[in-house]
Amino acid sequence: MMARPVGWRDHLLGLALCVAYVAILIPTANDLAMSRDESFYVDAAQRYGQWFEDLLTGEHARTPERIDAGWSYNSEHPPLFKSLFAFSWLAQKHFHVFEHDSTSFRFPGMVSAGLLLWLIYIFGARAKSRTVGAFAALAYALLPRPFYHSHLDCFDVPITLMLTLVTYCYWRSLEKPWWALWTGVTYGLALATKHNSWLLPAVLFIHYVFFASAEWRSRKEGKPRMGVLAPWWLLAMVVMGPPIAVGLWPWLWHDTFGRVNNYVSFHMHHDYYNMEYFGRNYFRPPFPISYPFVMTLFTVPATTMLLALGGIGRQLRAIVPEILQKRVWPYGKIVADLRRTDILWLGAMMEPILVIALPSTPIFGGTKHWFPAYPFLALFAGVGFARLVSVLQEYWPTRAARVAVVVPYLCGALTLAPALIETAHSHPFALSHYGFFAGGVPGAADHGMNRQFWGFTTGSLVDFFKREMPQGGSVWICDTTWGAWQMLQRDGKLPNNIRASSSLANADFVLVHYERHFVEVDFQAWVAFNDATPYYVLKYDGVPIITVYENPRHRRARENAPSSRINSR
Amino acid sequence: MPTLVTTEAAEGVAPRTTLRRLLTYAWAAILLFSVVEVVTHYVIRSRVAPMSDWRAAASFVRQESRPRDLMLAVPLWADPILREVIGDRISVEDAGRSDIARYDRIWVFSIRGAESDEVPHRAPNFTREFGGVKVMRWDLPPSRVVYDLTAHIRDAEVSIFENGVARPCPFRQGSGGGDGGGLSTGVLTPASRFICDPGRPWLWVAQTVNEDLDLMPRYCVWQHPAGREAIRVTFRDVPLGTRLVLYGDIFSEHERMLERGPVDAVVRVNGNEVGHMVHRDGDSWKRMEVVTSPDGSNATGEVTIDLSAADPHLRTFCWAATTRNGERSEDAQ
Repeated sequence: MMARPVGWRDHLLGLALCVAYVAILIPTANDLAMSRDESFYVDAAQRYGQWFEDLLTGEHARTPERIDAGWSYNSEHPPLFKSLFAFSWLAQKHFHVFEHDSTSFRFPGMVSAGLLLWLIYIFGARAKSRTVGAFAALAYALLPRPFYHSHLDCFDVPITLMLTLVTYCYWRSLEKPWWALWTGVTYGLALATKHNSWLLPAVLFIHYVFFASAEWRSRKEGKPRMGVLAPWWLLAMVVMGPPIAVGLWPWLWHDTFGRVNNYVSFHMHHDYYNMEYFGRNYFRPPFPISYPFVMTLFTVPATTMLLALGGIGRQLRAIVPEILQKRVWPYGKIVADLRRTDILWLGAMMEPILVIALPSTPIFGGTKHWFPAYPFLALFAGVGFARLVSVLQEYWPTRAARVAVVVPYLCGALTLAPALIETAHSHPFALSHYGFFAGGVPGAADHGMNRQFWGFTTGSLVDFFKREMPQGGSVWICDTTWGAWQMLQRDGKLPNNIRASSSLANADFVLVHYERHFVEVDFQAWVAFNDATPYYVLKYDGVPIITVYENPRHRRARENAPSSRINSR
Repeated sequence: MPTLVTTEAAEGVAPRTTLRRLLTYAWAAILLFSVVEVVTHYVIRSRVAPMSDWRAAASFVRQESRPRDLMLAVPLWADPILREVIGDRISVEDAGRSDIARYDRIWVFSIRGAESDEVPHRAPNFTREFGGVKVMRWDLPPSRVVYDLTAHIRDAEVSIFENGVARPCPFRQGSGGGDGGGLSTGVLTPASRFICDPGRPWLWVAQTVNEDLDLMPRYCVWQHPAGREAIRVTFRDVPLGTRLVLYGDIFSEHERMLERGPVDAVVRVNGNEVGHMVHRDGDSWKRMEVVTSPDGSNATGEVTIDLSAADPHLRTFCWAATTRNGERSEDAQ
C-alpha cells in the first residue's frame, strides 16, 4: 500500500515537472514558425487585449458596439485561452517579458501543457501509485505530436488540460462532495476553452451509472457508505458551467441565445477539408472509421502504446461490469476500486477517439482532435509500467536491495527512451513524424499518410531565405498565412525586405507545402515558370516537406550577378 | 521524496502456472521491445538515401541520357527529389505525361526497393546502384508517336461557335508567368493563350497542367466548353498516322463531387467525325483511341477537336492528343 498519502511533496514534484516542461518548450518554440490557426488567434488576442485595455481605462467597453468590435472576430471559438493569450501579450507589450512576441502569445498554451503533466502525475498517484503517476506524466510529455502542439497558441492542449481536470474533479467528488463545486467551475472553464467539452458530461454520466449502481448494491447489502451517491457534480456542471462560460465570453453578453446557436451551428456543420490517409485524399464523408485508431498507433511511441494496452489488459477485470464479471471472469486478483477509476479512464480515453471515428466527423486536424484521450492513455501506460516493474521484482528477486531500488528507474529509462528519442527527432517536424508502427517518416510516406498541415514548416526555411535573398525579395507562401509570415518578421527572424507575395507567378520563390491535395500548386508553379525543377526541397528523413521553386527572372538575376550568388544548398 | 517502488511488489509471489509464466515473459518482452524500437528508429534513419546518392545517380544518368528519355522516381513521393537533382532533363511535359508512348527509354530512380508500374513487365536493360538509390533503365522499341497535337497548339486555329457561326479566338502573346495560383483555384492561366471571350475569362485555349481525379499532373490543352455550341481547335497538315489517341479530364475539384453534367469532345479528321468522347464526372484521365488512316499511309490532314457541354459551369476540361503509327506492346500496358 502507499506509504504516505499524496501531499505537498507530490505537488512539488508536479510543479517541477510543469516548470521543467515549460522551460523546454520556450526555447524550442523558436524553431517553429506560427501555424495557420495560431496566426488567427494572435489577431484575436490582440483585439481582445485592446478591449481589456479599454475596459481598464473605462472607455465604455461594455457597450454592445464595443464588445462586437472587440469580440466578433473568431467568435466560432470560445474566449478563455485567447483571453490568456491577450493578457500574456499585454504583459509583453508593456513589460517586454519575452524575447519574442510569438512566445508571449504561446506562453499560456505552454503553461497549460506543463500543468497537464502536474495533473497527470497527481491523478495517477492518487488513483494508483506514484509510480503510475510519474511514468504517465513523463510518457505524456514524450508524445511527439502533443509536444509540438504544447508550443502553440491554440486550444488543443489547453482543452486536454481542462477535460482532464474536470474528470479529476468529478472523480474526487465521488468521495468528497465539495469537489462537485470544483467540477462545476472547471467545466465552465472547459466550455470556455473549446467545444470538445460538450460531450464530457455524457462520459461522466455513463461512469456514474457504473459507480452508483455498485455503491447502491453495496449499501443494499448493508455495507457502510463509501462514496457520494448524490450526483452533485452533475448539478454543479449544469448550474455553474454555462454561466461561467458565458460570463467569460463578452461576445455572448448580448443576443446570448442567438449567438450560442451560431456557435453551436458552426461546429455542427463544420466544413470538410482534405486529409490523406493510406494514399487516398478524403475530402467528404464518409471518413474511415479506422482513422483515429491507426493514427494513434502510428504516432504514439510504440513502447508507450504497448504499455498502455498492457495496462488496460491488466485492469480489464476491473472494467468488466460487475453483473457480467461473475459470469465471464469470476476469479482474479484485479478488482475495481470504489470509484471505478479504470472505467472512468477508459471512457475518457475512448470518447474523443470514437467521436473522430464517426464517418461524418471531419478529420482535418491530424491527431490533435483526440488529444484529450492521451492523458488517460498515458495513465494506463503508467499502470502497465508499474506492473512491469513488479513482475521484474517478483520474478527475479534479488538479494541486493540496492539493485531492487534502481529497477524502476532502469525500467523507466529503458521504456521511455524510444519516446524521448522520437520526440527529440520529431522537432520541428512533428506533424510529419511517424513512429515504429508506420515504419518511420519514410514508411508513412510509403503508406500515403498525411505529411503536414497548417504551413508552419516555412519556419525551417528562414535561413534559406536569408541566404538566397540577401538583398530582399518576395515569396509566395502557400499554406502559411500572412499573419504567420509577419510574426517571423516581428520576431526578428526574417528581414522585413523579404516579403510575402500574393502573386505566384511574380514571386521570386514559390513554396509548396507537401500535402497530397497541394500538388495542384506544384502544377501551377510548373506552368508559371515553365519548369518543373525545384530549386530546393526541404526534407525530413528524406521525405519532401516543402518544394521551393525559383522564378526564372530571379534565377537570371542571380546568375548574372556572380558576386552575389550564394548557392550553397 | 516520493518513491517509485510499485505497490504490487509487496503482493508476494503467486504459484507459477504456465499462463502466469507466459504473462511474465510478455511483460518482460516490453523491455526488449523498447530496445527494438530504438534500434529500428536508427535503422530507418540510416537507410534514408542521402542527397549525395541522389546526385551521383543523377550525374550518371545525365551523361547517359538522350532525347525521348523518361525519368521517373519510385516511390512517387520521391518525385520532387528527382526533379531537384535532374530537373534539367525533365520537362513540364514529361512530368505531366499522359503515357509512355513518346519515349524510347525509361530511367527509374528507385529507393526503398520500390517498383514502378509504368515500366515494361520484364527485367531492366540496365541496373546500377548509387548507395541507397537504384537506377534502372528499360529500352523500348522506337516511339510510334508521329505528331503531338498538345505540343503544337500554338500552330492551331481556335474558334468559338455562336448561333452557328464560328468566330476566331485570337492568340494573345503575354509576358510573365500567368494569372492565378493557390489552392482550389484550378489550373494556372498561362500568359500566352487563345482568348475566346474576355467577358468569360475561363474561355481560353493553351497548354497548362491540370490535376486529374487521382491528383496526378496532366500536361494538356485547356479548352473549357462554352455551352451547347462548340469551341473548336483546328490543326492543319497533321501527319495522321493510323490512330489518334486523345486523353481528357476535368480539374479534380470540379469532378470529384460527381454532380455535374458531361462534356462532349468530338474529333474530326478532314471534316469527318472519327471519335466522340463523353466525359462524365468520375472518368478522370479518360482515354479515347480513334482510327485516322487505316492503311497506315503517310497522309496528312486536318484534325479538329470540338468541345461542348449542355451545362458548361465548372466543366474545366483539358485534353492531350497524339497521332501514332500503330502501338508498341509496352504502350498498351
